[in-house]
Amino acid sequence: MEGERYDLHALTGGTAAGPTGVPHERELVALAEAVAGGDPAALAEARREALAALGPESFVAAAAVASNFERMVRIADGTGIPLDAGVNELSASIREEIGIDAYGSSANTPPLSAARRLLGRVLEPAARFVLPVVATLSKRRSQPGAER
Amino acid sequence: MAFEYTDLSLPIPEEMRAAHRRAWERLAAPGAWWNGAERVALAAEVRAARECALCRERKAALSPHAVAGEHEGTSLLPAAAVDVVHRIATDPGRLTKSWYEKTLAAGLSAEQYVELLGVVVTLVNLDALHRALGVEPEPLPEPVAGEPSRARPPIVQGGAWVPWIELGCDEARTLYAGAPRVANVLRALSLVPDAVRQLKELSTVHYLPMDKVADPRAGLPTLSRPQMELVAGRVSALNECFY
Repeated sequence: MEGERYDLHALTGGTAAGPTGVPHERELVALAEAVAGGDPAALAEARREALAALGPESFVAAAAVASNFERMVRIADGTGIPLDAGVNELSASIREEIGIDAYGSSANTPPLSAARRLLGRVLEPAARFVLPVVATLSKRRSQPGAER
Repeated sequence: MAFEYTDLSLPIPEEMRAAHRRAWERLAAPGAWWNGAERVALAAEVRAARECALCRERKAALSPHAVAGEHEGTSLLPAAAVDVVHRIATDPGRLTKSWYEKTLAAGLSAEQYVELLGVVVTLVNLDALHRALGVEPEPLPEPVAGEPSRARPPIVQGGAWVPWIELGCDEARTLYAGAPRVANVLRALSLVPDAVRQLKELSTVHYLPMDKVADPRAGLPTLSRPQMELVAGRVSALNECFY
């Protein structure tokens, strides 16, 4: 994932928004749409195609991820949490580009000042390098016996 | 035994089955602010909401507030609780702070609200998975008798509508392994710590352990992280979730 580039427009626009670069994107997006939608026939078709394309183990994993986010969105929107510090700045330009800022639940996150928006744009290219380092550091710190 | 998946030819990992069973046991037991019968009744309302005519009409309306009416709820639950369950289950993208405040004014406490939300999202998660797999929803468990614990951790009012746990308290140190900072979504249900425990258990078997989510290198052997995020992001966008 590190160093690879993906087009995120399909998150808001579906497969009609163009290719993402993710393997089996058509089947994965169709499965996600069918799980979030309410049409049993569409879900049966998406299940059949995803199963054929991904194989049984990966299909179960994809179904689990989809259902997991049916849960997570309701936790976020049911409690009115704002974006976490830093994520707001670093994701500002991509949110604007793919239309997420138009969602009603954006009201739960205070708008960015011009200065913080600019800071986000400056730091954005470094985010993909910074995040793994932070994750590694926090993992080391949580190891039993790690130095404090 | 629940969640056997005997009629399913797909490989459901044993740890996933075990987590589902624990979720059912937790659902049936008395919680902190609702007893077992009430918690199972809340779960039944999640399923009723999928067939609810009022919810369908509201979902289709320009504003959910434009459509008045009552859900066909169980007499066991207060009407305010039934409405909250239906709204969260069927139209989460249009919940607002003023709506939340009205639910409190209608008689639900913040603690009851958060525990209710924890029940709703567990049901939504497991039923969505069963629909995706093509299996029937698991029959709801028999409630376990007993009174709610009414245990409330030390709380602070942060950036969310709901209050959440103070990170310096013992309960928070246990929940979050002493982490000095915790992602808002992991802290969101912490007014009811068992709801956080439930979230962590299901996230571990359906997606990733919550402490691995921020690491872009974390993934599954069966699905790459970009594939996982494509599914996660599309589901989130269709629910119009900004977070």
